[in-house]
Amino acid sequence: MRADPSDYELVAPGSLQAVVTLLARNPGEWLPIAGGTDIMVLYAAGKLPGRKLVSIWNLPELRRIEVLANEIRVGAGCTYTDIREHTVLGREFPMLARAAAWTGGIANQNRGTLGGNIVNASPAADSLPALLAYDAELTLVSVRGERRLSYASFHTDYKKTKLELDELVQAICLPRRYSEYVCHARKVGGRNAQAISKVCIAALGRFAGQRVEDVRIAVGSVAPVPLRLTETEQVVMGKAINESLVSLARKTAIAEIRPIDDIRSTAKYRAAVTGNLVAEFLNLLKADGKKTSDVLTRWNDAPIEAATAQILPCCGSKAWAREMAARRPFDDVVALMAASDEAWRSLAESDWMEAFRRHQRIGESSAPGSSPPSSAAWAMQEQKKVADAGDAVKVALAEGNREYEQKFGHIFVVCATGKSAPEVLEILTCRLQNDAATELREAAEQQRQITQIRLRKWLQG
Amino acid sequence: MINSLEDRAQCEISLTVNGERKTVLAFPLERLLDVLRRQLRLTGTKEGCGEGECGSCSVLMDGTLVNSCLVPILQAEGASIVTIEGLAAGKRLHILQEAFLECGGAQCGICTPGMILAAVHLLSKKSEAALEQIQDGLSGNLCRCTGYVQIFEAVAKAACGTTTSSS
Repeated sequence: MRADPSDYELVAPGSLQAVVTLLARNPGEWLPIAGGTDIMVLYAAGKLPGRKLVSIWNLPELRRIEVLANEIRVGAGCTYTDIREHTVLGREFPMLARAAAWTGGIANQNRGTLGGNIVNASPAADSLPALLAYDAELTLVSVRGERRLSYASFHTDYKKTKLELDELVQAICLPRRYSEYVCHARKVGGRNAQAISKVCIAALGRFAGQRVEDVRIAVGSVAPVPLRLTETEQVVMGKAINESLVSLARKTAIAEIRPIDDIRSTAKYRAAVTGNLVAEFLNLLKADGKKTSDVLTRWNDAPIEAATAQILPCCGSKAWAREMAARRPFDDVVALMAASDEAWRSLAESDWMEAFRRHQRIGESSAPGSSPPSSAAWAMQEQKKVADAGDAVKVALAEGNREYEQKFGHIFVVCATGKSAPEVLEILTCRLQNDAATELREAAEQQRQITQIRLRKWLQG
Repeated sequence: MINSLEDRAQCEISLTVNGERKTVLAFPLERLLDVLRRQLRLTGTKEGCGEGECGSCSVLMDGTLVNSCLVPILQAEGASIVTIEGLAAGKRLHILQEAFLECGGAQCGICTPGMILAAVHLLSKKSEAALEQIQDGLSGNLCRCTGYVQIFEAVAKAACGTTTSSS
């Protein structure tokens, strides 16, 4: 029996403040509705529990994506289309962008919101495993204020969450530290569009060639809540990936999930597929790690002069490159990275300066010293977002660079990967206030980070 | 002031439909689909599943494709809606309508208005959409007659601008 619209109230107060005030009046009385892709379905079927709805669709406070230095804050009212079309999210959080693209169809992506998906709390939702894998945090808002909690703790049981009756999800915060990870997202279902998943996975990892450095695996549709496979992660952490490990991971994953038989699939099928998806991910990770380890092995075996020359573009200091070549062989990426940090910190100031000189001024296209071609290509990737900036910001950066060089006697060094020109400008303005000793340490720290990122790219061959 | 007796009454909603300003009296949770079909007599928009799965009720709301069965009319206040009736310019069909006719992209016709609006939306974003993008763009619109091949052909034809009406 179809619902009668005259039985329901719907109001649209138009601002976040007005909505949370209404929710606080008699918590639980008003149900928030955004794009309606879940609630209108319940309503039409006559299954909507409450009679009073408050529209949060298109509230400006909830519909923005903020790109900050350390995280991206996706407003809970952003649609799947907003997420799909956002370039930084697409680059740094491809599993979320992909999940957005296979949620519903285009019309539902234009109306369905990420916050709605989270609060609807379906264990089968496609985007939720990606949020778990990326270690998202949520900000919740009410008249009592804002609070922030880890997304991993949000779902407590089937369709139960930590959201209080007077609260709204305000934003989903994604830490910007996984862009260099190997990732694997897959939906197994009747088809991508419209069909709800039988099983879906989002997994991230780093495999250094010898052992798994970091891993996070999340699955959907196989438990009462979207599930992080923490036991499976423990089984593979720090290990070499071989057949017996893959087999053990598969078994652990199957033991960790709690799948059911339902209209879409069976518990048995879901368990088998979950095991396969975990194995598929580990094999991908291994293949990527093998590429890395091939580069490392060749470099370990190279003559010392060649090895020094090959690694030099990652940092720019000859003393650092000589030290790295002398410390070979390295077993894996972790050892290489640790040695790099150590070697860098032990250098003389003049060696640091040599590395600084190899950089191009941020916002310009050529370095004062000569840079090898790979270093120039990396610099272009690192400064990509800065290069896209408007003229006014570029002029301000050029002016700031001049002032900085006059004050400190060396080029301004900043780890620019993922940072926009206004962000870099803000950092530059701030660092201009430092005294010389503090600033030298800061520049050296930035160079250390740049070297780490470049070493990873170098290892990819 | 929220007064439940008052708010359960119908409210006046102003919106633009196919370029014309309209004011309707409706309950705020009434579906855009029902307002279009019953009050405005625009029956080109079809109801299929009524739960956002089939796309046959697709319309454009402020240039964006939506399932009108899932839009409460209150959320369409001030919006500009385009339905299948708003595509042709007088007797001159829209390039996509022309393409569907030429390629045999319609059979029973229930999905056709939604299919065409989804295609209009797609080509407004990607005017030269390739087959894969066409398939993605129409993936929320189900057709149980044609098997989709002629539909994709029609959209591809319109994307290349090779229908009769565009020459």
